[in-house]
Amino acid sequence: MKEIINIKGLKYTYPDGTTALCGIDLTVSEEESIGLIGPNGAGKSTLLLHLNGILRGKGQVQVLGLEIDDKNLISIRSKVGLVFQDPENQLFMPTVFDNVAFGPINTDLEKYRVEDSVRKALEEVEMEESAQRYAHHLSFGEKKRIALATVLSMNLEILLLDEPTSNLDPRARRHLIKLLKGFRVTKIVAGHDLEMILDICNRVVLLDQGKIIANGESKEIMGNKSLMEAHGLEVPLSLL
Amino acid sequence: MHLPEIDKYAHLSSPFHSWNPRIKLISIFLLILSIVLNPNLIIASFALLLAIVLVFLSKIPFSFVLIHLRWVLLFCLFFFIIMPLTVPGNEIIRLNFVSISWEGTKYASLITLRAISAVLLIFPMLGTMRFDATIKALQRLKVPNKFIQMIMFTYRYIFVFMEETRRMFIAANARVFKKRTNIRTLKIISNLIGMLFIHSFERTQNIYNSMVSRGYTGYLKTLDDDFRLCGKDFLKGFFIVAIALILTITGRIL
Ligand SMILES: Nc1ncnc2c1ncn2[C@@H]1O[C@H](COP(=O)(O)OP(=O)(O)OP(=O)(O)O)[C@@H](O)[C@H]1O
Ligand SMILES: [Mg+2]
Repeated sequence: MKEIINIKGLKYTYPDGTTALCGIDLTVSEEESIGLIGPNGAGKSTLLLHLNGILRGKGQVQVLGLEIDDKNLISIRSKVGLVFQDPENQLFMPTVFDNVAFGPINTDLEKYRVEDSVRKALEEVEMEESAQRYAHHLSFGEKKRIALATVLSMNLEILLLDEPTSNLDPRARRHLIKLLKGFRVTKIVAGHDLEMILDICNRVVLLDQGKIIANGESKEIMGNKSLMEAHGLEVPLSLL
Repeated sequence: MHLPEIDKYAHLSSPFHSWNPRIKLISIFLLILSIVLNPNLIIASFALLLAIVLVFLSKIPFSFVLIHLRWVLLFCLFFFIIMPLTVPGNEIIRLNFVSISWEGTKYASLITLRAISAVLLIFPMLGTMRFDATIKALQRLKVPNKFIQMIMFTYRYIFVFMEETRRMFIAANARVFKKRTNIRTLKIISNLIGMLFIHSFERTQNIYNSMVSRGYTGYLKTLDDDFRLCGKDFLKGFFIVAIALILTITGRIL
């Protein structure tokens, strides 16, 4: 299968001196779903931020066959959607519609095509009735869903999700999982909801202290009790 | 907590609600300008009356308007206390060493009348359409994009900020923090405010990241609104601008 993400020797230190990533090597193939697990502060969010060039560390990051640099940045970002953990950061426009339309408008689509992709994205998260509502009137779970819609409206090839199910009620969570399983695009999902990751991803990458500890088939890694517990995690109930 | 939602009554219907946002913004803005630049006390009183009538026509409840007016009133009260005592001129009353001057009272009244009328007119102007309609109208009026972004993000994140402030004080209160008038209270409060600043700084960075990752390059684009201009819109505009002109001219003559 075609290689879509290729990371070699990636290192990153935050301006305050915290080393968040120290030597990451990872390749991801087309239409793969990868779970990113690890304890708090392992570097999961930091790694995701590298994949569409928001952060630039030392080492090599290739996305869709392109090196991340100033020249390729715009075309990479139009193909890589990142959903942040806190939906408040994702929904910066006043209305739901404007938030979901933000990406498509920036890629200069025509008006009817923008409206079309917004409608489709809202349908996918089952919020088509809320297009004209204000973002600050939504409940948290609704905000999470709209946050996802803001990237679904773009014509994506890679979907990066940071803790997509956190703070969702069980029904919204089930719904989201079903939704994500339906997408054919390449997905990288970071989070602590291990059942969700087990459900969506065929491969997981275990990260701790900025290093990849394990990388392999989901059931194998998440079922390994001593490995999981050594890195502050637990074996998901469904694997016991 | 009270949220500053200026467009709470945008769903009503009135001559202002049905008015095209762009023409409404320009016309009422001109009217406000003619009022705040007016030097005449009689005209200013008339302007206040006019503003009240326009608010009435916009069907926005006065109770809602008054809630927002209270800070303006407080501010004007301050002028009313200071100016009659400090502006030199003909004395009205003299009590020992304080004297109240006619000029001071006049200026204070002028400022108060103009301020209240201007703030009242904001309601038929901005309160009769949804906030996003205002933004789009400003955009089509070619108001500088940076300025529009500033207004928009302020409006969007004021709610987040207020929620964060509220949560932080709840957290402090939960750990038996009581407001007293002492240095310790001051220290704690200034710490909390400092944390709020840091939070907002980090929030801005995160928001910027999420904007950039969806193709933002510094210019805010939105789809044009679907408002069409019709004869009625121009008629209303003509009417309001004519009033503004009359106020300006009579204010200079009288
Ligand atoms: N803006 C920042 N400035 C300085 N250090 C940071 C910043 N963001 C994260 N870090 C540090 O980098 C390390 C990795 O953080 P990261 O957010 O990537 O972890 P994570 O795996 O996503 O954790 P969590 O599961 O808690 O979300 C942590 O030690 C964290 O304290
Ligand atoms: Mg994280």
